[in-house]
Amino acid sequence: MAKEELISGNPLRVLGLDNKAEAATQSLGLVMARAGLGKTAILVQIALDSMLRGNRVLHVAIGETIEKTRERYEDTLSKMVGDLSEEEIGELSRRRMIMTFKEHVFSRGMLEERLKDLIQQDVFAPDCLIVDGYDFDGNGRKHLEDLKQLMAELGIAVIWFSAVCHRDDPRVSADGVPAPCHTIDDLFEVILLIRPKDKVIKLDILRCAYCEVEPGTTLLLDPSTLLIQKS
Amino acid sequence: MARDLSKVRNIGISAHIDSGKTTLTERILFYTNRIHAIHEVRGKDGVGAKMDSMELEKERGITIQSAATYTSWKGHDINIIDTPGHVDFTIEVERALRVLDGAILVLCSVGGVQSQSITVNRQMARYRVPRIAFVNKCDRTGANPQRVTSQLREKLELNAHMIQMPIGLENDFDGIVDLVKMKAIYFDGDNGEILREVDIPAALADEAAERREALLEEISMFSEELMEAVLEGGDIDPALIYDAIRKGTLALEFTPVFVGSAYKNKGIQPLLDGVAAYLPCPTDVVNFALDLSKDEQEFRVTNHPDDKLIMLAFKLEDGRYGQLTYIRTYQGRLSKGDTVFNSRTGKKVKIGRLVRMHADEMEEIDSCGPGDIVALFGIDCASGDTFTAEGLAASMSSMHIPEPVISLAVIPVDNKAQTNMSKALNRFTKEDPTFRTYVDHETGETIISGMGELHLDVYIERMKREYKAEVQAGAPQVAYRETITMQSPFDYTHKKQTGGSGQYGRVAGYLEPLDEGEYEFVDAIVGGVIPREYIPSCDKGFQKSLAKGSLCGAAITGVRAVINDGASHSVDSSDIAFQLAAQGAFKEAYLKARPVIMEPIMKVAVEGPSEFQGSVMGSLNQRRGMIIGTVEEGTYTVVEAEVPLSEMFGYSTALRSLTQGKAEFTMEFATFKQVPKSISEELIKKYQAEKKGQ
Repeated sequence: MAKEELISGNPLRVLGLDNKAEAATQSLGLVMARAGLGKTAILVQIALDSMLRGNRVLHVAIGETIEKTRERYEDTLSKMVGDLSEEEIGELSRRRMIMTFKEHVFSRGMLEERLKDLIQQDVFAPDCLIVDGYDFDGNGRKHLEDLKQLMAELGIAVIWFSAVCHRDDPRVSADGVPAPCHTIDDLFEVILLIRPKDKVIKLDILRCAYCEVEPGTTLLLDPSTLLIQKS
Repeated sequence: MARDLSKVRNIGISAHIDSGKTTLTERILFYTNRIHAIHEVRGKDGVGAKMDSMELEKERGITIQSAATYTSWKGHDINIIDTPGHVDFTIEVERALRVLDGAILVLCSVGGVQSQSITVNRQMARYRVPRIAFVNKCDRTGANPQRVTSQLREKLELNAHMIQMPIGLENDFDGIVDLVKMKAIYFDGDNGEILREVDIPAALADEAAERREALLEEISMFSEELMEAVLEGGDIDPALIYDAIRKGTLALEFTPVFVGSAYKNKGIQPLLDGVAAYLPCPTDVVNFALDLSKDEQEFRVTNHPDDKLIMLAFKLEDGRYGQLTYIRTYQGRLSKGDTVFNSRTGKKVKIGRLVRMHADEMEEIDSCGPGDIVALFGIDCASGDTFTAEGLAASMSSMHIPEPVISLAVIPVDNKAQTNMSKALNRFTKEDPTFRTYVDHETGETIISGMGELHLDVYIERMKREYKAEVQAGAPQVAYRETITMQSPFDYTHKKQTGGSGQYGRVAGYLEPLDEGEYEFVDAIVGGVIPREYIPSCDKGFQKSLAKGSLCGAAITGVRAVINDGASHSVDSSDIAFQLAAQGAFKEAYLKARPVIMEPIMKVAVEGPSEFQGSVMGSLNQRRGMIIGTVEEGTYTVVEAEVPLSEMFGYSTALRSLTQGKAEFTMEFATFKQVPKSISEELIKKYQAEKKGQ
């Protein structure tokens, strides 16, 4: 599959990310699921889609190693790709950078410092941030509002987060967004929830500010590859 | 009487440079009574440490070439290989790990897990070598073994736990608390040779009890008996604890951490106890050989002395006693006067003298058996060769050997130096598979290539010192490669008629890119249009063409040559005619196959205080580096990048000035990648100019 087809054929198109989310500044996206259901796999597909469309992506992995994160990108790309040339793959990797933090080390202040370093030293100016492993229990609304401000300052269009929800926590927002994000769901433009049901894994679109489909629409995940499919 | 293999330990000592592993080895030899005085690595007595037997090693204070030595401790026979720490010499580390059963990972209690430790750990994981960790230099300012243990868990992902704790640190480092025996140990006497085991000081008793509890909880998963004993409460038999730690260590699921200071003679004897208690004996480790009579099918070596002999030559040395070949025996017995077979060459070899090496001294022995590491005299072989008993076609699995990435020309200053240089190069290439040499036929220069600037520097020094070969070295050059990117046909006739018998040969077919491997020759000739006897000549002709590409003069790799048509002449065809025809065909097709230049790309890791992260990344970016990512550790950051080797010359100086000397970097070969167009054009232009100038 050529690059153009990879972009146009991507089921993520229904989210309208390409023409709206990244054009509007400071959008926040969220992928939620219970532990081990494939949040990172979804984030990596969103990142790759953004990279294929020419954006630069900074993947912030909290509590994960560079090698494992890099492997995820390589694995996912190899599953997605038909015939991207080596040159195109090389070009794609140049649009990605991985920044890992130990859990106890990560703070908004440190992320800000590092981001400014990257941009001001002209090393890497990301259009999209992927933040995997962010602690929503320990950081509230204020942190996210600060982050939105930082995005405006640094010209970052979109940040995607992952969040873990728990089976035994019944709290949900009016839109069905589970805890711990149920009280801050208004800050996100797109919210996806991974939900296993009867041997299939569904990807519910709980909120979608730019969607071409109605909220409540569902995508599917291939259980073996965790690639997003149209339902 | 059969040797008790459960009492044999083959261990390596690996670590980051300057972690003190040579000092540690020196102390081990002293406490096991193999040497009777202690000499420091850079000692004032001018003797140097025992294991650093090469002149150069003594002078630079680093271990360049591993030396094997044998010692014994409380009834256990221990073979130790002291391994180098610099990344340029990792082939030595890898070879040692290939033949060893277990290892001590030495770490500096101040520096902690540094970049080279990560490389070494990766190598150990590749060869599934169980390890114990020794946190050295607890007497140094800033020593923090607890932090180092956390780093072992976080950076190396080892399930590391301290089984000892220090009594005091830095200047106050007095001894250790053994958390298994729950005793304090002090090291008395002039050289710490007298162990005094007493009750744990009251001030440390609570901490020790807490740590022991955490340790027991961790290791009880390896032993049901221990788990039951822990649940029941009361005194626990130390034997149960030793057993659980051993099981965890052998399964590579647990890494016991020891503490001490080799320089201050503290903590070495308990570490030796640990080697005996927790590291595997030869029968604990599963090793495989390849059955050459069954298409290289893997089979498990038996470790049994009565089975047919299999042994691996893992190191050659040309020392004061002549050529020494270090071998590891995997099964069977070898005695003086035996005849064995070299699996690679098929040649018979008679075993003359058999010795156990103790650094640069040796002990004559009559025979050796499974698990032994010994040295042989006067055997002609290469490193990595397998020797077997007659009738057994087997080879130990091949070692992972990286391609050289850097080369330079060496020019002998006179005729005597020329002769000596040849001898030296012949020896070095046999000793070290990552060190290669060839003569550039166009310039007539001898080119040496290897894994880094330091690697080649050391061999040049050795040529001068050991072989009295004075040479001038050229500037280091990157080992570029050329390869093709598309299929290209050829149909070439070599015809020469100048009186007497002529030359005639026609070859047709195509060249195409080969995804894996360097070169492949495919004979698709039908109907005998090229007689069978000339097919190898075609192959030979193509191979000759690969030596030097026409773009920048680099070796050509990744080519499949397929011949499917041709013609011959009953009188004028010959071996040389078809070789020349193939060379002509290659030349014809090569430029049409869109050749490109490939360059070695290095994986670079720069580790330093976080405040310099931005400038470090900037410096790598300027060098055409691709930043893969950063690891935030708190106060310091590791930047990982892939950078072309050609851009890394002089980087250590640049990094020093950028970071006030506070950052360090390691690099290792990652892959070959096509050079950007602008650089390719420059290289081609340069090569053309050089050719014209000749």
